[in-house]
Amino acid sequence: MKVYVTRSYWFSATHRLHSAGLSDEENRVVYGKCNNPHGHGHNYEIEVTVSGPVDPVTGRAVSLDALDMLIDREVLSPLRYRNLNEEVAAFRSAVPTTENLASEVARRLHTTWPEGPKLEKIRIHETDRNICEISG
Amino acid sequence: MIISKKVEFAASHICRSPKLSDAENERVYGAAANPLSHGHNYVVEVAIEGEPDPVTGMILDLKRLKDVLEDRVLAVYDHRLLNREVAAFEGVVPTVENIAIDIWSRLEEHIDPSGRARLYSVRVHETNELFVEYRGEA
Repeated sequence: MKVYVTRSYWFSATHRLHSAGLSDEENRVVYGKCNNPHGHGHNYEIEVTVSGPVDPVTGRAVSLDALDMLIDREVLSPLRYRNLNEEVAAFRSAVPTTENLASEVARRLHTTWPEGPKLEKIRIHETDRNICEISG
Repeated sequence: MIISKKVEFAASHICRSPKLSDAENERVYGAAANPLSHGHNYVVEVAIEGEPDPVTGMILDLKRLKDVLEDRVLAVYDHRLLNREVAAFEGVVPTVENIAIDIWSRLEEHIDPSGRARLYSVRVHETNELFVEYRGEA
């Protein structure tokens, strides 16, 4: 029987929302306080949803240990306590909005996602009120 | 349209399969394999799909749903050792996956006798970091 398992993780990081394609004035208008040149930070929460059949012996649809290790290696370790603009290659060109961060997390997970349970979706909470969801 | 209702129960469980060796159980379930059991505050979110009744404006009778959840889920699960006291877990490991599937099967036929509304999903949160959703899929 197919179930959907969702696991939550979090990391802290700094970012600044500033697009090279916009003037300084336009950046201030589009991003507001998030355009502060010194950057600012968030506690990002990541929800990863995985689907698959329940193994009749173990009663599990996914190995949580294996999932935790994968998320730690591909997402949390590279992003935790980083300045996303300065230290994460993807954000040299792309603005580290929650939308682009969700795409980057999806890209990272897809590169080493193993056979078996399917990556259904990723939700990133930038704050309690600002959440972005991307299909796996 | 989908309406969700949330209920909570507290229960203990042991995540060990008799079909696995002790070493395999420790590897698969980690600390949850403790044979003396451990417990959680489970939160169950039941989502029901249907259209509001033109007269009452409700998808289903929520008072009745509350009683169904009380009788079919909480009376069975609350303050129990799931492995020993819930029949569904005889020979089945009470992982959060299997709990979601069992709650679905307990509720599906009892949601709405008129058949207008139907069970859409059962979500079971085992901790703040882990929940499972079952939508009745094979």
